Amino acid sequence: MNPVNDTIRFENVSKFYGEVLGVNRVTLSLSPGITTLVGPNGSGKTTLMNLMTGLVQPSRGTISVLGLSPSNATEFFCNVGYCAQFDSFPRGLSGFQFVLDSLMLFGMSEEDAYHLTTESLERVQLSDEAAHRKIAGYSKGMRQKIRLAQAVAHHPRVLVLDEPLNGLDPMARAESLALFQELGRQGMHVIISSHILDEVDRISDRVVLITGGYLIAQGNIHDVRQEVRDKPMQVLIRCDRPDLLASKMFAVNHCVEARLHADGNGVFLRTGDIDEFYRLLNEIAVEGLVKIEAVAPADDNANAIYQYLIGSDGGVS
Amino acid sequence: MSVFDHDYRPYEGRLTPLGSRPLVLARYALNEAWSSKITIGLFVLALLPSLVELVIIYLADNPIARALVMRGSPALTINESFFLHVLETQCWFALVLASWIAPRLVAFDLSDNALPILLSHPISRFGYLSGKFIALAVSLSYVTWIPCLMLFVYQCYASPEPWAMGHLSLAAGIFAGAAVWIVLLSMVGLAVSSWVKWRVIATGAIFAVVFVPAGVGGIASAILRTRWGLLLNLPVVMTELWQRMLGAPALMNSRLELPTLAMVSVLIIACLLCVAVLNARIRAREVVRG
Repeated sequence: MNPVNDTIRFENVSKFYGEVLGVNRVTLSLSPGITTLVGPNGSGKTTLMNLMTGLVQPSRGTISVLGLSPSNATEFFCNVGYCAQFDSFPRGLSGFQFVLDSLMLFGMSEEDAYHLTTESLERVQLSDEAAHRKIAGYSKGMRQKIRLAQAVAHHPRVLVLDEPLNGLDPMARAESLALFQELGRQGMHVIISSHILDEVDRISDRVVLITGGYLIAQGNIHDVRQEVRDKPMQVLIRCDRPDLLASKMFAVNHCVEARLHADGNGVFLRTGDIDEFYRLLNEIAVEGLVKIEAVAPADDNANAIYQYLIGSDGGVS
Repeated sequence: MSVFDHDYRPYEGRLTPLGSRPLVLARYALNEAWSSKITIGLFVLALLPSLVELVIIYLADNPIARALVMRGSPALTINESFFLHVLETQCWFALVLASWIAPRLVAFDLSDNALPILLSHPISRFGYLSGKFIALAVSLSYVTWIPCLMLFVYQCYASPEPWAMGHLSLAAGIFAGAAVWIVLLSMVGLAVSSWVKWRVIATGAIFAVVFVPAGVGGIASAILRTRWGLLLNLPVVMTELWQRMLGAPALMNSRLELPTLAMVSVLIIACLLCVAVLNARIRAREVVRG
């Protein structure tokens, strides 16, 4: 496939609702896989998703989703699946009818729609008995599942999920994450906005950080973390003598913090020069005074990046 | 970095024509409208006058039955005035039905925030409203031109003299008159329901849109001693229009008669106002940041 037709592109996109800023001058390019939108409430995540799904038009700039413009509604919407964060369903429908009608709105024949509805309900693991009940009687988790079923039923190439893990129990969350992972692996675009950063972090290929309507950072989580040079990186080292390792490491200038792990079998070290840090660690390992079992970055995740770049108050750090 | 299989296949089956998609919305809107017992009750109530009128036609066309039932009463005449009365009665029942059904079709979607989900399909705002309009128009047809034309057909069948050929324009007038009212009511119903999310208030507001301007127009006419205030009186405007469409004798003093062009213009302006309201209110998103 042509790479231009396989990416979601925003070029200098701004969206204003009257005098209220939605997003401002956003330029980004997303390739297939799982992308997590991260930002505090009111940061513009939902606006970004609405722009991506063609629900709102940009005030400025251009958007291209797999080479398609939202103005080409028929083809555009057939390629995009959207799972809204709100409890928004047409009244009086059963879960099955909701997905079936949705597919028929996409232009599928009743026979195809029936087949795809059954397939998508199986995919989100909503039982047949539950699917034929009125949505009004669903639990929050079941509503989330039926929303997801509706979003994936027509086999879109881009799946936009606004807070898809809200209200799900741990088991259903794990199943949903596995489904997103499977879809991402198959080459689909999965765009997730979620506050449960620890969970989406495990499956995300890249993050888009946004606050106050402005794009703060985007890219692979590890790469973004590397770019945040003013925040020393934290590394967890599992070893037999963490106190000795900490004292040796702390003797060098770039090591700014050392904290023993709660179980006493490791130490968190924070360093301003990660390359020099790993060189020194190799030397200590070669000396043989400390037996090192494992080394892993401790703040190389979406949560830490969020804290460093946006801060707990939602303002840019 | 993930390794992508690139084995995902989008749906590549046959698609239905774009123009037929609003029918999906119309189908479930009809389900929603007629799932209420009150809708059924209003429908039955709206058909009762038609039953009475059916009996009147039977008596008018059957001298023996008339002699037995209505001894000494003047002869019943089935003519344009009779059908004007039938149409008027049915159309006012249609107003009651529309004020109950329309809020169920739009206000529910707005209060449930269902528009983003519906409009993220290949269907435009116009398509969405078309679906709702079709559902409302079909529902109102059940109580307006369908029973009226059934009575017309029965009169054609029951009349001892050849009646149908001489009154075909009456049938066309009934259909056209009801159609104008259905379009207007549907537009007003959808516009008011899109503005007022609370269903009960929306029902009241639909009545208010019809009758409050009539009161204002009446006051204006009285103060300014002019007939033009009557243009705001929708019941008067519609009755006048139906009378002319059916070719019935004039109901009002000729001094108060309104020009057809002015009445049609008022209806067009009312519809355009409804379109403006719908354009402002039916959107995929209100101001939401998150």
